[in-house]
Amino acid sequence: MSAVFENVTCKFCGCLCDDIAVEVEDRRILKAKRACPNGLGMFLNYDPTLQSPLVEGKEVEWDEAVSAAADILSRADSPLIYGLSSTSSEAQRKAVELADRLGAIIDSTSSVCHFPTTLGFQMVGGAACTLGEVKARADLLIFWGCNPMEAHMRHFTRYSANAKGFLTPNGRRDRTVVVVDVRPTKTAKTADRFLQIEPGTDYEVLTSLRALIKGKDINEPVGGLPSEQIKELVQMMKTCRYGVAFFGMGLTMTAGRGYNVAEIFALGAELNQYTRFFAMPMRGHGNVAGADQVITWLSGYPAAVSFARGYPQFGPGEFTSVDVLARRETDAALIIASDPMAHFPRKAAEHLERIPAILMAPVTNCSSQVANVILPTACYGIDAPGTAYRMDNVPIRLRSVMQKVRPTDEEMLMRIMEAVKQ
Amino acid sequence: MTLQNRNGDKEASPITLRLKEPTSIPIEADTVSPDHFIGRSLKDIAALPVYFGRRKRNLGDVFHIEGEESDQVIVEGDLAHVKKIGYGMTRGRIVIRGNVGQHTGACMRGGEIIVEGHVADRAGIHMEGGRLWIKGNAGHLLGAAYPGERRGVNRGVIIVEGNVGSETGAFMRRGLIVVMGDTGEFVGARMIAGSVFVFGHLGKRAGAGMKRGSIVAFGACEPLLPTYRFESVFQPVFIRVFVNRLRQWGLPVNIERTEGLFRRYSGDITALGKGEILIYDSNE
Ligand code: SF4
Repeated sequence: MSAVFENVTCKFCGCLCDDIAVEVEDRRILKAKRACPNGLGMFLNYDPTLQSPLVEGKEVEWDEAVSAAADILSRADSPLIYGLSSTSSEAQRKAVELADRLGAIIDSTSSVCHFPTTLGFQMVGGAACTLGEVKARADLLIFWGCNPMEAHMRHFTRYSANAKGFLTPNGRRDRTVVVVDVRPTKTAKTADRFLQIEPGTDYEVLTSLRALIKGKDINEPVGGLPSEQIKELVQMMKTCRYGVAFFGMGLTMTAGRGYNVAEIFALGAELNQYTRFFAMPMRGHGNVAGADQVITWLSGYPAAVSFARGYPQFGPGEFTSVDVLARRETDAALIIASDPMAHFPRKAAEHLERIPAILMAPVTNCSSQVANVILPTACYGIDAPGTAYRMDNVPIRLRSVMQKVRPTDEEMLMRIMEAVKQ
Repeated sequence: MTLQNRNGDKEASPITLRLKEPTSIPIEADTVSPDHFIGRSLKDIAALPVYFGRRKRNLGDVFHIEGEESDQVIVEGDLAHVKKIGYGMTRGRIVIRGNVGQHTGACMRGGEIIVEGHVADRAGIHMEGGRLWIKGNAGHLLGAAYPGERRGVNRGVIIVEGNVGSETGAFMRRGLIVVMGDTGEFVGARMIAGSVFVFGHLGKRAGAGMKRGSIVAFGACEPLLPTYRFESVFQPVFIRVFVNRLRQWGLPVNIERTEGLFRRYSGDITALGKGEILIYDSNE
């Protein structure tokens, strides 16, 4: 007999759509209504049956796997805890505790996506809004270096371009959508205006916008855009009722990085002299924003934190996992709910292959092949409840739609912590 | 080796530290500084704490230490993963024979560090005095600021004979950075005051968000940001004064260029706009 659960949260991407209707039969999900193809894949592909943990490829009892993991971590001189973006904030909290106890380096997947956002934010601060406000009020949406049509598929319908809200009853017709990118993406095709800039000129264009808003003049073309086009965009920004600039990895992972983000945050803040305006990062993985939140409230810094000296030290480029691995400055890794082997540059991945690694994740991925200990845990949002932070830093409850038989990341981390203590 | 002090007198043999085993585990050695060594016997020095990854060790476990009590320190070995040498030092001299890790000379307030190889990122960050002389290349954030800080280097001199990474002298408040080679992006970004001299190729986006201060390009340079304005061509006197001093220190500076005309650009107009970038124009 199948049961339908309404208003389930999808934790695949930073949109955290909490309106999914999930139909379950015999501990398998049959349907996930309203989920986009990305989210649907996550719901349908997850197999919640209990699986034995593996140590060096052999199936073992949980106790043995936990002590093997604790052993690896206790023996290491410089352990690294990485990932956290697809687990719950409860588990993230335990991961920070474990890092603190071990004196480990802890870092989230933001080090390969929105870490520069943190740096930019620390440089200039930022004005923030929620997606609810965007839905209800925003009449100018700028998407800069991001492609929600493919990466955050329901962003348009739930929160931004097409959403119907309090002051935007006609949805798309009440809003102007501008896309700034280096190539015509799928999102660009739906835009009212598409500004194609030359690769690696985001900083120049953003800083020119800021100069114009401050009343200075820019008369040469910038980033391949004629100055009239830039001035027109400034006019649109100054005269809109409520504007939001969403930005993605096109801005954070290209030349300029943290400085690009500092410019867009500063731009958003400065526009508030004329109207209401905000800048918001399009966070990728479901709970990567939560990782920033949790690590910040426990250590004071959002990611790339080392507890090696007993107190937290923040080191962008120093304790960011890609750099730590590429410089071979770690000798054991605990990977939580992520897949570094699939995303890291070769040099970092090579070192990860060399060192002992523990993988804690609900599904097998590329990193499973290099992990010495694999702990198949429950999937938050399917067979375990928890908390996740949406891209606008609003916490959303992840519901469970079936009784869990697997241990959760949180439970596993607590057991490893106990074993490390001994 | 004997080192000479400022007056040219021979001094007691310096304290020499040699890394026992090469390792890629990060070592935080902020105790390697004349300030910690002065007034301590070799035995006491060997007992100073050092962090080997997450493990607290004694300096003597990680380094062979020899010499007499002195404010002159020599460090040898593969130091690429040894961080924070000379952190906050106020006097004496450290000579590093080879490549060295991050935060070298961070927050130093006096004395001198000479690096005979390359340094990793964040050398001389938040420096407040003294001199950091790097014979090889330097990484990113040379003489810059820690994240979230509004003010970086405040006095002191940094000299790099090789190339540097990006964000050199970012957030600098006061002081001098001289780069003989090429630079990465964002030299002097968000600088508040101070001077950066670049004899090689000046990278993109120099002076982004700069309030005051001078960036001088003696060599080629990337097109400046659209937020910089051309002002004039002139012959700045202060450059000659600076360069004379650099030559006194023994830097091979091309005198012809320093006497020529420079194009002056002012900016960054998104910030205060009182900064300047001087670009060598011609030798009129
Ligand atoms: S947009 Fe994101 S959160 Fe929403 S259903 Fe798709 S993958 Fe899930």
